[in-house]
Amino acid sequence: MSFLSEIDGALADQGVRPRARRQIVDEFRDHIACEPEAVARLGDPTALAQTFAAELAGDEARRCTRNTFGALSLAAVALVAGQLLIHAAGGYPDYNKGTSTPLALAAIAMITIAPQVAFAAGSLAALRAWRRRRARQLPDAEVALIHRRGAVGRTAGIVTCLGMLVYVANDTQRLAGWWLIAQAAMAMVALGALVAARTESRACATTVGAVSGPAGGLAVDLPPLAWLAARPWTAWAIITTAAFLATAAFTGHAEGSLVEGLERGGLESIALGAGLASAIALTHRHRS
Amino acid sequence: MDPYGHLDGMLLAILAGEPAHGYAIAQALKQRSDGVFDLPEGTIYPALHRLERGGLLRSEWSTASGRRRRTYRLTAAGQRAVGGARAEWSTFSAAVQAVLS
Repeated sequence: MSFLSEIDGALADQGVRPRARRQIVDEFRDHIACEPEAVARLGDPTALAQTFAAELAGDEARRCTRNTFGALSLAAVALVAGQLLIHAAGGYPDYNKGTSTPLALAAIAMITIAPQVAFAAGSLAALRAWRRRRARQLPDAEVALIHRRGAVGRTAGIVTCLGMLVYVANDTQRLAGWWLIAQAAMAMVALGALVAARTESRACATTVGAVSGPAGGLAVDLPPLAWLAARPWTAWAIITTAAFLATAAFTGHAEGSLVEGLERGGLESIALGAGLASAIALTHRHRS
Repeated sequence: MDPYGHLDGMLLAILAGEPAHGYAIAQALKQRSDGVFDLPEGTIYPALHRLERGGLLRSEWSTASGRRRRTYRLTAAGQRAVGGARAEWSTFSAAVQAVLS
């Protein structure tokens, strides 16, 4: 087997895309044509292919993360703008007076829970990619971690966009036409960007990395988390208080009612606090 | 001697003279080092691609004797990087020399 066919096969095995593969093989073909004996000095085709793939994988992971973060930002703008403008379009309609109550509840759940997951996963993917922006090569596990966080963020972002569209479809009779059109258009644009980012990510050079999950290595990305991980109940208090304050402020403003904001903030912090407390208790029991 | 730690700087320095294709760069590296840096020639290509992705080089495809050829040249950022690499090496080698002697 010739050097050129060997390296072409090795690059394909490493998941290098056909266009990049053709260019690499063409360069080696020119090199050998300049001096046929040089083929013996080029090095091991498999090792060269691994070097190309490792460098491409890191770059592609960083590029995919940038695009994912950009697409998630569009989804965030669509969601926040829609919520801030809803007052001018008639205010929040009662959830049980739309086309379908189950559909309304599903849409509310989608636009309430999914954005939080998308924000966390997308930010963590971007943070890890940014921290390693100058690294020539990233270890397989790190590339896999960045891709996995990005995938979770994109999926949650897509669910958020679908939730906005369901919300619009369920309330066509009760909200102003301009708001419905604007919200649907923004959601569609963000959805398109997220689907494009997902397609791009799937075409990236393959890596086989062992990674615990999207939350793996959090203490590396966010050093204060290492401190909080050792004090779970302090973390519990900080997170539930922050959730209460943020929800109270945001919904209080959106509803134009401090009482309403405090009520929703209380419910959010109780739900989040209960979930976190369960997780902490289960982790503690598992360790002991 | 392990040239890999300084490969990027050496590739940039070779291209500071004039644009060149991969084979010519490999030969220049060997000749300028009097054969000391006789590394596997294929290893310069991942480095050239990395430097191009980093904006320090740009490449153009042409046809030579009926086959495709990729020629690399420095960008403005690459020119600045050569100066930086030379200054860094000068400081480093002077420090090593001072310690060894």
